[in-house]
Formats: sequence, C-alpha cells, structure tokens
Amino acid sequence: MFLNAWSLALTLTSIAGIVLGGIACRTAIRVLRHWNPASDSELQIRLEGEIWLSSTLVAYGLGFQIVSLILFVLAADEFCKVIVGAMCATGSLLANSYGMPALLVKLVGVFFYGFWIVLHQLDIRSESYPLVRTKYLYLLLLYPLMAADVTLQTLYIAGLKPDIITSCCAVVFAAATGGGTNLLTLGSENLQLLLYYLTMVLLLGLGGLLLWRWNRWLQALYAVGWFWFFGLALVVITNVISSYIYAMPYHHCPFCLLKPEYHYIGFAIYGTLIGGAFLGSSAGLVEPCKRRAGLAEVVASYQKRAVQISLILLLLFAALTSYHYLLYMASGGEV
Amino acid sequence: MLIELDSVSKIYNQGQPNEVRALSEVSLAIPPQTMVCLKGPSGSGKSTLLSIIGCIFAPTSGRATIAGKALARLPDRFLTVHRRATIGFIFQRFNILPALSVVDNITLPLLPLGISPKVRRERAVILMDQLAIRHREHFPAGQVSGGELQRVAIARALVNDPPIILADEPTAHLDSRLSSEFMQIMADLKHAGKTIVITSHDPLVTEHPAIDRVVGVKDGRIDVP
Amino acid sequence: MNSALEKHLNILDYALSALWRHRLKNGGIVVVFAAVIFLVASFQLVTTALTETAGKVLAVTPEITIQRMSAGRQEAIPLAYAEKLHDIFGIRAVVPRVWGYYFDEVRGANYTVLGVSADMPQADELSRAVVGGVMGSGGQGKVVVGRAVSQALQLQPGQLFSLFRPNLSLKAMTVAGIFRPETDLLTADLIAMPLVEARDLFLIPASKATDLCVYISNPAEIGTIAEKISKLLPDTRVLTRPQIQKTYQVVFGWRSGFASVCLLAALAAFAILAWDKASGLSPEERREIAILKILGWETADVLAMRFWEGGLVAGLAFLLGCTLAYLHVVFFGASLFRPVLVGWSVLHPALSLAPHVTLKEVLLLLAFTVVPYLAVTVVPAWRAASVPAESALSG
Repeated sequence: MFLNAWSLALTLTSIAGIVLGGIACRTAIRVLRHWNPASDSELQIRLEGEIWLSSTLVAYGLGFQIVSLILFVLAADEFCKVIVGAMCATGSLLANSYGMPALLVKLVGVFFYGFWIVLHQLDIRSESYPLVRTKYLYLLLLYPLMAADVTLQTLYIAGLKPDIITSCCAVVFAAATGGGTNLLTLGSENLQLLLYYLTMVLLLGLGGLLLWRWNRWLQALYAVGWFWFFGLALVVITNVISSYIYAMPYHHCPFCLLKPEYHYIGFAIYGTLIGGAFLGSSAGLVEPCKRRAGLAEVVASYQKRAVQISLILLLLFAALTSYHYLLYMASGGEV
Repeated sequence: MLIELDSVSKIYNQGQPNEVRALSEVSLAIPPQTMVCLKGPSGSGKSTLLSIIGCIFAPTSGRATIAGKALARLPDRFLTVHRRATIGFIFQRFNILPALSVVDNITLPLLPLGISPKVRRERAVILMDQLAIRHREHFPAGQVSGGELQRVAIARALVNDPPIILADEPTAHLDSRLSSEFMQIMADLKHAGKTIVITSHDPLVTEHPAIDRVVGVKDGRIDVP
Repeated sequence: MNSALEKHLNILDYALSALWRHRLKNGGIVVVFAAVIFLVASFQLVTTALTETAGKVLAVTPEITIQRMSAGRQEAIPLAYAEKLHDIFGIRAVVPRVWGYYFDEVRGANYTVLGVSADMPQADELSRAVVGGVMGSGGQGKVVVGRAVSQALQLQPGQLFSLFRPNLSLKAMTVAGIFRPETDLLTADLIAMPLVEARDLFLIPASKATDLCVYISNPAEIGTIAEKISKLLPDTRVLTRPQIQKTYQVVFGWRSGFASVCLLAALAAFAILAWDKASGLSPEERREIAILKILGWETADVLAMRFWEGGLVAGLAFLLGCTLAYLHVVFFGASLFRPVLVGWSVLHPALSLAPHVTLKEVLLLLAFTVVPYLAVTVVPAWRAASVPAESALSG
C-alpha cells in the first residue's frame, strides 16, 4: 500500500532521514580516520567545521525521527479504515509481523539520537573535544538502526493489504479475565497499579536523594529505575489506565489516547514519559564521560539538571495518568 | 603583558606541496594601555599576526597568550568565545552592514553574548552620545556620511567593552582629515585604558604621537630596523 | 534571564530582521512554496473528506444486505426469508429494513426514507446523531429528519407534516428530532422512522421489507456466510460490505495514487529550487556572515539563524498554503480538482466537502512539505555558516 498519502509521507521522511544520516556518517568516517587535534592542517580545520554539520544533521534527524514516530502511529490509525477487522492503530500494526518491530525501532531511535546529542553537547564544552572518537563511533553504529527502521517500515507498508484480516485490541489486549490471549499480562490490575505507583515513589525518592547527596551507585540505580519504569508504564497505560481515560472497561489501547476525542492527552502522557525516561537514564549513562579531560564539572551539572527535569516530568506524568483513574474512584467507581 | 607572543609560527597547508609559512618564530609583547602599529607590505604576514592577536585562529606552533588565555590549537568555538569578550574590531572600509540601522550595527557584537535588547540599546546610546552620532541612531548605515560611518565602526568595536582594540588598515580609504580624526579618537581610547593594535603603512598613523611602538613585519618575521 | 536563552532570542530576532531585509527573495520562496503546499493540502483535504464519507457510509452498512430480485429488478422481500437463515452459524442478527425514496412533486426534491426496526444493531448510532428527541421513541408517526429536509419543508421539532402514500392518501407525521449537522453527508436528505411507519407510508405489507440486513460477529466469515445465503435464497442479490468497500477503493485508488505522484513531482521541483536558492551564496551574504563570525558568532549560531530563517519561511508558507487549501476545498468545492474527482458524485449526489481537520492532517502535511524543505536546506546552510571569520579582514 505505497500509493497512499501516509505511506508516502513516512517514506519521504525516512528517505530524508537516511540521506542526512548518510552525510553525517561520511563526516564520522573522516573524523575517525583523520582527526588529529594537534595538527593545524587544512583537513583538521575542515573536520572541525564538519562537526557542526554532523551535529546539525543529527539534530534534524532526531526531529524527523520524532515526526516519523508520531506519523507512524497516526498512519496505523488511518490504515485501520481500509484493513478489515482493524478498529484502531493496534489492529493495523498487528496486520503483519513488521508493524510492532518498526514502531519499537522508531522509539529506540528517538532515544539513541537524543543520547548522541547529549554526548555532543557535553563534548563541545571541553577545549580538547575529548569525546570526539566515542561520539563518531556511536554515530556510525546509529546507521544500521536507521537502516533497520527504514527496512521494517517499508516491509510493513508493503505487507499491508486491504483484504487481509487482522484482529484488534479487543482481542489482543483482552481483559485478564478473558484468559489465554492476553499479550501483556502482568498479574491483576491492582497488582500492576501497586507496582506502578511503588516504582514512581521509589524514583521520586531516589531522585530527591540524588539531588541532596550525589552518589555514583544511586545514579546508576536511578537510570536503571527509569528504564524499568518506562516499560512498566507502557504496559500499565495499555492494560489499566487507558480504559479509565476512554471510560470503556474493555477498550485497552495505547494509541487511541493520541486522538482528538481524548483531547490529545496521549501526546502529553507519552511526551512526559519519554522525556523523563530519556533524561533520567541519560544522567546515568553519561557517568563514564566524567573521567574525560575537562568534562567532570560539565557532566555533573548536566546530571543535576537532567535529574531535576526528569523528576518534574515524572510528577507531571503521574498527574496526567492518575487523573482519570482518581476521577473514577472519586465518583464512586468500584475497583 | 596583555598580549604575549613567544616564537609563534603559522604555516598554512602544512605538509602539502602548497605549504605557506606566513609567520616564523615571531615574539612580541604588548603591555596594557599602549598603542602599537604593525607596519609592512601586503603579504608580509601582518594580517596573520593580527588574526592571531585577534583570536581568529591559533598559531601552528609557539605560544600566544591574549588577555590571560593561552591559545594553543583550540577548536574554533573556544577562540570565538574568548574573542567576543576581549577584542574589538575596526576593519578596512569598516565592514558595516549597510541595510542595518546604525544602532543595530553597533550592537551586533552583543547578540551572541546573550544581552537583552534593552541593555543593548542602553550601551549603544552611551557610545553614540560620546561619538556624536546619536541623531543617526535609526538611519540605515548605508546612508550616513563617511565620518559618521567611521564612528559607527568605532562604537561597534567598543560596545562589548573589550580591553584590546584591533584596527585593520583603518585609514586606507579615508582622506587625511578623517584619518587624523580617527587617530585622535584612538589616542583618547588609549588614555581611557584600551590597548590598541593597528596595521597600517599610512604615515599619518605610523608617525602619530600617540603610537608607542611601530613593529615592522617582513616575510613573516619582525623586522628589526 | 538565562543568557543562553537570551542569546537564542537575539539570534531569532536577527533572523527575523534578515528575512525582512531580503523580503523580495524570501517572499518569492514563500509564494512558490505556499503554492506547492496549497496543491498538496487541497488534495489531502479532499481525500480525507471523501474517505470520511466512505467510512460513514460503510459504518451504517450491515455486513451483508439481501435484496429480492424479480425480473432483474428489486422488489420487497418477505420476512419469512429471515427464518431460513436461522441455521447458518455465525449470524448475529437478521433485521428487516425499509430503504426507499420519496419524490416530493411540489418541491421537485427526492428524500431518502429509512425505516429501521428497534432491534437493529446500529439504532443507537442513529439515535446519537439526533438533536432533541430520540429515534423511534414516543407514539405513532414520530420521525427524525435531516437538515436539508427540515429546511425544504420548513420543519421544527414537534411540528406536524404529512406525505402522500402511493394511493394519494395523506400520512401525518410529527418531527421528533433533527439530525446533527456533523452527519449531513449521510443524513441531509434522510427521513428516518420506525419500520412500521415506513411500511405504512409505502403501503408495504407487514410481512415484507425492502431488504434484510444481516449482521455478522466475525468479519472473517462474511464471504462464506454470503455464499451460503445465496445458495439458500436463490432469488436474492447478496451484497457484502467488503464488496462495497472494494468499489470505493477501485474508484478512488488509482486516481489518488496518480495525483500523489504528480504532487510529489511538484514537491521535488520545489526542493531543487529551494536547494539552489539556499546554496547560491551572494558576495554580500558571504561578507555578512564573515562579519558576524569575526564579531563573535559561532558556527552554531549562524546555523541556528539559518534554521530560524528556513523554519519561518516554511511556517509562513505552510500557514498560507493550508489556509488557502481549506478555503478552496470547503468554500469552492475543490474546483481545481474537478476533472480528477469526476465519478465521486456517483457515491453521494450533492457531495459537500467538509473535511474534519485534526492534528493528524496537519502533521501529515508538515511531513510532506516542511520536512523535505528543511532537509534540502541544511547542507547549504552549513556551507554558508562555514565562511571563515578571517575573510572579513583585508588579507
């Protein structure tokens, strides 16, 4: 199904991304081969100039990736109109085996591009550019990810046939009581919520502790905690929170939240979650950079700022996801 | 010393067939509140010397310390950050952007320093008053007279309050009246505490009483007469 | 205020003034870009509107519709036929329906009359589309009318009116409600009433209806069940929803694809133009950038300025193009696309295009137009930003 506006837009964005990525990788290869900070040669000066090109390209790449991620989910929502049996984006994404992997790769891509930009921003703060090699090696490793992204997306679109029948969220994420077919089961609703709020409180506590007294191990724990929370939150949103927002007990769908019917609340929810998880985990991931020349202070101040913002985002996220649930409880709903 | 060069060399295209040695083993020390003239024919290396003093690029070898910062091989970015806080530039033909207003030209160096529009204007107004160009504030710079343009260029060089002012052949395209007016303003600035480096071979400059030292540059070396 | 933020604001400020200074050149780009966006957006809006129509028509279409054929023409179907389908496994419900047209000789208008039985699975949906009153509630002769009908007959809720039966006797009816404007596409010319009322109007015997709607739980089984039905009831025509859907696809598919490709070509042409404009750096621009750089702008600052310039141009063109496209589609009925769209009137007679614009459509258009523009201008922007600072010196 390529002759469709959404498929074309996705393909166009991917082509733009992969071309820009290719140019950035060309710089990466040149930097890895010829970088010599001591030299005063034309080549070195050109390479120093190209650093700005590559960082701009990756920043654009990140922007395109975010657009592409949202576009992909919205396109899936659109495709459900022509795919028999699909009632919303979940159904379309499950229409063939490339949909969900493509989505996952896109999501991972956002994080990886983001980390590169963090590395770059830290690197250019030190006069010796201590992370140059690391960051360009990393950039080269991003290319297979871009390629995987484009490939999966193309395969997904190519595999979409209007007459193939798929199943939808009602079946896939059937209520736990339905038994058997549930894709994402994690115990009962209450257990999931308990785990969810417990993790949230722990993260808040850890973050607060970190801001009060810095410790390397706490930092690592905080980063790992965010990864765990990110996965957990996606499951809990799908299984529990979404149906309170839809006010429909059997509608469990992580994507319909993005629709205007629900005031685009999904964008706020996923925005705060992805932002928080990104900052929270990146604060831990940049720890090794502290040992590089001239970066100790820069990294420490980034970590502090990142933890602060991630805590704010966590609170916002908690409020956004709990609002409908609490409203339901307050209005006398039963658990 | 405010400016200290210690056997500084600059080689373009090092290691290539078209290698050019623009400066070799130049040593120079300029104390604060002095006015120095770099004199030499074009191609002598005086522009390269000015570029190093102006933190536009670092030397290939040797040590250059400008206003307390040692310029080794540094990425461009750090030179720029140092330059915009320490150096004021006056160019040949002044390099004013004709389509911008006088005040916008003057405040140009303040934009990357993250200074708010209000403060920018306040600073410009003080300088425009001092240099008697306040009445031209909102004129496009392309429409003011040569003498006013010269003072716009001086105001722009002073707006970030730099300790060092570099003037690159400032009088090359001026008549003698404007040239002496220019030198008079420079002399005043020196008395106000600025360190000034001028490249020129105009006798009006080199023989001006306020010049403390004339440094001859020839074939990439300091020419000792 | 934070000085990094202030610096960025300063750069934005400078970018704005630079755009204004080069307003002729930038204005040209905005106009051409806006024209391309206008074409893409108009087309997309038309597509969206038509898809929505199709979707709405399909939403109230049962999985299978059975009509009785006699001498190649449709005629009333006995309800007894429904009984024969009892044994077919997988059928959720079989519901009789009256679907016909009433020709109003006085006004020369055609109304669609729909008689639904209360146990029709979509009765709820219809009820929700009604303002002031509930479908099928209350006493005899209560009907719900579409807005076009209410205007033609000058009807208000609660008002009494009458239509002629085929034998020219008058049937009196009361307006129980009017359909919501959002459902105009489907309901404008509709008069909906309970099944008995519709039978009374058309003088159809109680044992018959115009067609039978078959609802099926599992869409996977539509084909098989349809086949079984046509074997059981040989004198009927069996229409399935996928069939109707395919008809839409065929009418629409190649045209939309073909037009998309044409629009992409226009976009590509514009991208080349944008690249050309962005990469050709005039001596004045070179000089300006060299001055900015020697006065303390970093390469990244110049890049940020270029980004703002490009973003503002694209944003302005986007707003302009989209607004014009909306006006074109909604108020001028997409008159530029008439030749491509011929054939759609078959699906819905007085098709008025009222696309429902959401964030989704905006994002799609953004991806189609602004993303390529930014992608094409980034390398030229970097080239411009790499002008060395020392070129501002006399040399």
